[in-house]
Amino acid sequence: MQGSAFDEGEFFLAIDRCGARVVMIGRRALIALGVPVLTADYDFWLHRDDIEVFNRAAEPFDLFPNRNPEEARASGRYVLENDEHVDVLVARQRSTVHGETVQFEDVWNRRLTMRCGAADVSVPTIDDLIRTKLFAARPKDLEDIQLLESLRREEP
Amino acid sequence: MTHAKRFVPPSTTQLATIAALAERQLTAAEVEQGLRDRLTDDQIEENRELIRWFRRRYPTASQRLAYARRAYARWSKSFPR
Repeated sequence: MQGSAFDEGEFFLAIDRCGARVVMIGRRALIALGVPVLTADYDFWLHRDDIEVFNRAAEPFDLFPNRNPEEARASGRYVLENDEHVDVLVARQRSTVHGETVQFEDVWNRRLTMRCGAADVSVPTIDDLIRTKLFAARPKDLEDIQLLESLRREEP
Repeated sequence: MTHAKRFVPPSTTQLATIAALAERQLTAAEVEQGLRDRLTDDQIEENRELIRWFRRRYPTASQRLAYARRAYARWSKSFPR
């Protein structure tokens, strides 16, 4: 994939300004926190009532949803895509592979805010990010958990 | 004189196989085992050193994210379309 004209800073600013309750999860959140990993896409966990406003913010970046909001609410996730690929989780809650229920509302209330250029970007706490890694529980998620645990030791 | 072997990028079939393995959901038992198999102190220290370098070299979140976009673009250039 070649780098496109997509401006990440402007994208974050549009998300920040739209007022949607959304946290960046996945490897992009690890990177923002300070873990050098590779990733192709963006992952967000969005409040299910904020799908429309989030989609409007993404539209100027030629990112279009693969499902309408009602379908997205029913399935719990959707994708915004074009040159970039943005996975959007909109479930109220998800279960880890161990059966622990993780509520969006709790992750949102505990979120960290990071300054990215002119935008504030919300990410989960390290503990919550580890929990989200246990939703899909792929081999690379375990590697990410180990990196997050190393990151935690770097925190004051 | 010996010559270094030229790097041959994996085929799309090989990439698909690797992706399927990487995307496989582990069972709860496999996760438990994986989390029990803690890293050695040396591995943890290597991770921490890598994190310290990354945060020192790219002190802000936007610098780190921009680096990651550049790194991914460089990395993906070596793969077949």
